[in-house]
Amino acid sequence: MKRLKIKALISIGMLSSISYILMLLNFPLPPFPNFLMIDFSDIPAIIAALIFGPMAGVLVELFKNILDYFMTGSATGVPVGHTANFIAGTIFVLSTHFIFLKLKSKKGMTFALVGASIIMAILMSILNYFVILPAYTFFLNVPAMSAPDTRQMVVSAILPFNLVKGLIVTGMFMIIYVRLHSWIGKQATYKI
Amino acid sequence: MMEKMIFGRYVPMDSVIHRMDPRSKLLLVFLFVCIVFLANNLLTYILLGLFTLLMLGMSKIPFRFLYAGLKPVVFLVIFTLILHLFLTKEGELLFKLGWIEIYEEGLRQGIFISLRFFYLILMTSLLTLTTTPIEITDGLETLLNPMKKIKFPVHEMALMMSISLRFIPTLMQETDKIMKAQMARGVEFSSGPIKDRLKAIVPLLIPLFVSSFKRAEELAIAMEARGYRGGEGRTKYRQLVWTYIDTIILTFMAILTILLILFRT
Repeated sequence: MKRLKIKALISIGMLSSISYILMLLNFPLPPFPNFLMIDFSDIPAIIAALIFGPMAGVLVELFKNILDYFMTGSATGVPVGHTANFIAGTIFVLSTHFIFLKLKSKKGMTFALVGASIIMAILMSILNYFVILPAYTFFLNVPAMSAPDTRQMVVSAILPFNLVKGLIVTGMFMIIYVRLHSWIGKQATYKI
Repeated sequence: MMEKMIFGRYVPMDSVIHRMDPRSKLLLVFLFVCIVFLANNLLTYILLGLFTLLMLGMSKIPFRFLYAGLKPVVFLVIFTLILHLFLTKEGELLFKLGWIEIYEEGLRQGIFISLRFFYLILMTSLLTLTTTPIEITDGLETLLNPMKKIKFPVHEMALMMSISLRFIPTLMQETDKIMKAQMARGVEFSSGPIKDRLKAIVPLLIPLFVSSFKRAEELAIAMEARGYRGGEGRTKYRQLVWTYIDTIILTFMAILTILLILFRT
């Protein structure tokens, strides 16, 4: 039992490093403004959640962002972007996990990921409107955007971006999951 | 590339700031981020500026490293300065040329806000430029120790953090190796349509996951064999030493805070 716990600690650490490495390989998606980047760093987090339970997934998201903050710093000095990324990742991983609990199959996994993308896109839009964009304008000291401007930004960029990002991660994860699901099942210490 | 992975932005040097305890550096930067927002008139901004310059001077970090951190935001700062100049229409009219009108308040606000922004970036970069990520982790672990009382697993978090820092270079090497192995089989990572390039990542990720779990298993056995039993009574290889320098600099910080509170309007 004890060894399981040590192994979980170490594996979460390793998955965080993989996640961080994947985060470095990010790329902007042409129609969206280039502070919105797509990366696959959520994939190790979902795997962690499947093997060691939902908390592990959240921890991987957390460490990935802390590592990135230590290593590269943040344009605003205060890690606003990292916090946003952490919240988005956490919402994505947790909703995938809890929908997957209900439907345990490969198809269920697709539903869970697509559902999670939609949930993430909606929640992140709300958060962006009320918290993240105002925080950016506060720390960057751009004169605050007016409410219609913010709404325009959220609807035209952030909502579709998070949706597209979620769907790309879904596609990627499904390709990996199809090949890895029996291996994940063997490693899993968290009983679904 | 590899260097950058291990140390982040750390610039190895010998200076007062480099020798400071990571705990006091963390406290210093955290407090600084809080008090920067207290400043609201010329005197307070000058005080903050002097403190920032003093810290930067003591750290002996060459200017080009600081500039590398500032470069991405210089444009943004100039942009906000211009916005403030033209859009804030309060106070006396200073300058008028055709439709361009610059007001006193706009100039003041613009300059103050850009300064505040530079201070924040410089001080947070100072932390990552003079402290290795592993030192920051150690510092955070000891600073957060009191959280153990509310059952927050400080030691476990720090352990996971250090393991992940330790394995970033190893896993990077591994990624590189797998990439070369796949390239030898004819996989294209850097050309071709986006869809194909995305698909090429899959045969990279799967071996990476499997091998990292093998490593985790081995490391877990090794740690057990050496008697790892969690954080209770564990001794440390890197000891944190609080010296008089830390006390002096934190005292400075306290004085600065008091001055800011006194002089702000």
